[in-house]
Amino acid sequence: MKVTTVLFVLAALLVCAIGANAQEMTKDQWQQEITKQTQLRNDLSAKVKALAADVTRMQNQSSQLDADYQKCLDELYALVGSDQAKAAAYRSEIEAAENTANELMRLSDADLVARTDDVNALAAKVKSLWENKLSLIPEFWDRLTALNDKVKSLQGTLANQVKTYTVGTWAKERDCLWNISKKKDIYNNAWLWPKIWQGNRDQIKDPDVIHKGQKLKIPKGNELNAEEKSAAKKYYSKKGGA
Amino acid sequence: MRKLNRTVTAYALAFLFAGSGALVGCSSSPDEAQMKQLNDLKEEVASLQKEVAAAEQQKSALEKEIAEKNAKLKKCNDDQAIVKQRLAK
Repeated sequence: MKVTTVLFVLAALLVCAIGANAQEMTKDQWQQEITKQTQLRNDLSAKVKALAADVTRMQNQSSQLDADYQKCLDELYALVGSDQAKAAAYRSEIEAAENTANELMRLSDADLVARTDDVNALAAKVKSLWENKLSLIPEFWDRLTALNDKVKSLQGTLANQVKTYTVGTWAKERDCLWNISKKKDIYNNAWLWPKIWQGNRDQIKDPDVIHKGQKLKIPKGNELNAEEKSAAKKYYSKKGGA
Repeated sequence: MRKLNRTVTAYALAFLFAGSGALVGCSSSPDEAQMKQLNDLKEEVASLQKEVAAAEQQKSALEKEIAEKNAKLKKCNDDQAIVKQRLAK
C-alpha cells in the first residue's frame, strides 16, 4: 500500500513537470522571438525617422505656402491700389450692406413700402461700393453682384406695389374717377380714369357711380391699354347716344 | 514473489526519479534576465508603433493642410489674372 502511494505521487510529479515544461518558452523560442521583435523595432525605428523627416519637410512647405499666399494677396490688392487693411474694411462694408439687404428681403410687402428710403439708401450704398476698385477682385465682385440682384428684387417688389385710394365724398373732395385720376399722386392725368374703372370692375359697375369709403386699386402705368381704351370708347359712345 | 515485487518497485521508482529529474534539469528555458530583455523589447516595439501611428496622423493632417493652402494660393493667382483682365478693359 505504501509503495503504491509513493508511486502515485511520483507519477503525479512527473505529469506536472511535463505540463510545466510544455508551457514554458524554450531558449530557441526565446531567441526566435528576440530576433523577430528586434527586426520589428528596427523597421519601426526607421519608419519613425522617415515619417519625422516627412513631417518636418511638410511643415516647412506649409510655412512657405503661407508666405507665398500673403505675398500673392499683397500683390492682388496692390493691383487695385489697395492693401489688406483697406480690403478688410471694404469687406466689412459689404457685409453690413448684405445684412441690410437680407433684413429688407424678409419684410412683408407692406413693411417694405414703409422702408422705401432704406431700399434707396441700400441701392446708393451698393453703387458706391461698386465704384471702389476693390470691387474688381472676384471675392468682392461676386458678393456685390449678389447684392445687386437683391437690390433689384427689392426695387421690383416696391415697383409692383399697387397703390390704393379711398374714395371721399363728392360734396367735399369732389371725388369721381376723372378727378381722382387727375390727382398728382394718382396719375396726374384725368384721361386715365378708365384705368381705375377697369382695375376695379369688381366694385365699379357704372364709372359714374362710386361711393364714399370704397378702396380703389390704382393700377400701374401712364397710358391706357387696349382693354381700357375699348371700355372708355364704349362708355363715351353710350354717353353720346344717351 | 515478494522479492520480485520489490525489484519492480525499485525500478519504477528509479525511472520516475530519473524522468522528473531529466525534465526539470535538462529543459533549456530562458532565465529571468532574458525574459526581461524580451519584455522590454516588446514594450519598445509597442511604443514605436504608437509613435508611427501618431506621425502618420500628423503627416495626413499636413497633407490636407498643404492641399488646402495650395488651392488658396491657386485661387489667389487666378484672382490676380482676373483683376488684370478687368483692369485692362
